[in-house]
Amino acid sequence: MEAIEVSHLVKQFGTLTAINDISFSVAAGETFGFLGPNGAGKTTTIRMLTGISPPTSGTATIFGHDIVRETVAARQSMGIVSETSNVYTDLTGWQNMMLAAQLYRIGRSERDRNATELLKRFELYERRDTKAHGYSKGMRRRLTIAMGLVNSPRLLFLDEPTSGLDVESNLIIREMISDLIKEGVTVFLTTHNIEEANILCERVAIIDKGHIAAIDAPERLKKTIQSVQSVEVAFLDGTSPERLDELRLLPMVNGARKEGDKFKLFTENPTEVIEGVMAYAQTHHTRVISITTLGPSLEDVFVKLTGLQRGGGISAID
Amino acid sequence: MPSISLSGIEDRLSRELVAAWAIAKKDVLIYYLRPGVIVGGVLFPLFMFLAFTAGKLATPVALVPGLIGITTLFSASSIEPVSVPIERRMATFDRLLAAPVSLNALVLGESLSGLLYSLLIAVVVFVAALIILMTPITNIFLIVLGILFSSLCFATLGTLFAAYPTENPGDIISMVNVVRFPLIFISGVFIPIATLPAVAQMIAYVSPLTYANDLIQGGYNGKMTFHPIVDVAMLIVFIVIFQLIANYLYKRFSD
Ligand SMILES: Nc1ncnc2c1ncn2[C@@H]1O[C@H](COP(=O)(O)OP(=O)(O)O)[C@@H](O)[C@H]1O
Ligand SMILES: [Mg+2]
Repeated sequence: MEAIEVSHLVKQFGTLTAINDISFSVAAGETFGFLGPNGAGKTTTIRMLTGISPPTSGTATIFGHDIVRETVAARQSMGIVSETSNVYTDLTGWQNMMLAAQLYRIGRSERDRNATELLKRFELYERRDTKAHGYSKGMRRRLTIAMGLVNSPRLLFLDEPTSGLDVESNLIIREMISDLIKEGVTVFLTTHNIEEANILCERVAIIDKGHIAAIDAPERLKKTIQSVQSVEVAFLDGTSPERLDELRLLPMVNGARKEGDKFKLFTENPTEVIEGVMAYAQTHHTRVISITTLGPSLEDVFVKLTGLQRGGGISAID
Repeated sequence: MPSISLSGIEDRLSRELVAAWAIAKKDVLIYYLRPGVIVGGVLFPLFMFLAFTAGKLATPVALVPGLIGITTLFSASSIEPVSVPIERRMATFDRLLAAPVSLNALVLGESLSGLLYSLLIAVVVFVAALIILMTPITNIFLIVLGILFSSLCFATLGTLFAAYPTENPGDIISMVNVVRFPLIFISGVFIPIATLPAVAQMIAYVSPLTYANDLIQGGYNGKMTFHPIVDVAMLIVFIVIFQLIANYLYKRFSD
């Protein structure tokens, strides 16, 4: 049985169509990514799939239970981690876990066992008796995820789990997601972080303005745009804006942008671009310290499918 | 679909009650000592009492039953108008909305915390009056019934108003006050219903405070307008109506 089955789902807020007729399914045990810029409709989709917000039209089932007609049964097997770390800041970490468990009617001994195990796993156990008020942003995020797992869900919804977090929390969370995947838990993850989707997800849906632009495995999505390859080059004397403009004018270069201490040049013909870059270095009295050819990244797929420009709310590195 | 068996219903009911209790407990831990709750729920009725006493409108002993009625009204309906908007702001409300229980359990859980708060305050007022003013009592059972049912009734009323989708408690508190203040004057608490103008008398019949006050007055001084069964039945009717409306509103505003 499919873990999630969505058919022609639509959500309107007044005159705004936030989700416009999307359909997809997620197999049990699969890790499915919803990748899109801010405002694409990721959270709205999760709110419909978890029965918080009623769809305008269309249907969604969770392990065969219709989310509108059999809401309670559908929710029994799911864990929800919302976009904001919605913990009770006036309660301790432990009290937060207990409340989350009781909402699922988990008996005392199982509750204590799960809470202890999860708090340890998320490195919060030592601070379990402190009010969440005093927790850092990363700790609150981890507590939110621990609360989402307290009922040992078969399906976990994660709405931008690592967005804007410190490196340590990020690592703990990514590791936890990998563990869950190994344990066979179905994960539905939204992100605007392409690398995260690329690393964690078996399949990715690219969503933009309430439409699904493509659904496939990350590698296959990349293959669909084999024509977009790129050459990454770093010069000895850095990355000035003038240089970017000059590189754009080299033959066979379709586009260029600065990436950290490097330039990324898009092309259908990497060999010719490399030759061009070397010649450029010579005439401009500088040296190339590194040069690499790259296949299309998931980001390139994304940009191509959504027509989105860089800086439009999507990020490759957070 | 779950089969309709007795154990299935029992299982479902126990889920709902465990969740409702968890929701109530969290309110107890977080909101009972909030300044907004204390001012609206405890200090206001106290000032009211002092004002009436100072104005020599009645003897303190004669005011006690009315004071208890007003106290339950204000304290029971003081938690949810504060807690729900704050939880909407903190997005913790989504947790409750996404729990595997019905909205009825959510509404009941929220009201339960108002009920317990009101019982706590009413007991304090009752005992204080007994010790300080040595208020005579005719039938304590009627007082208990009055406090219990009116507390649940007004707590559910507070939960109902709290359904209005705002992140600012002030918005809801002012709406609740539009209802709470007039009730004091048309429910026979300090002014007997019989002496009210005809229109006000009509309104008195659709005020739950009228029936709560009738029970409590009866318990203290034996003077009642209705039969106790009528009072209790009316309060139960109000509780059910408020619960249903609240349920509808939370569903409606859950986008
Ligand atoms: N409750 C709401 N009322 C009105 N518009 C909303 C509401 N929730 C979301 N939207 C709109 O729907 C669109 C999708 O939002 P959202 O699902 O939050 O995007 P994402 O999670 O992908 O960033 C946005 O344009 C947003 O402004
Ligand atoms: Mg979002």
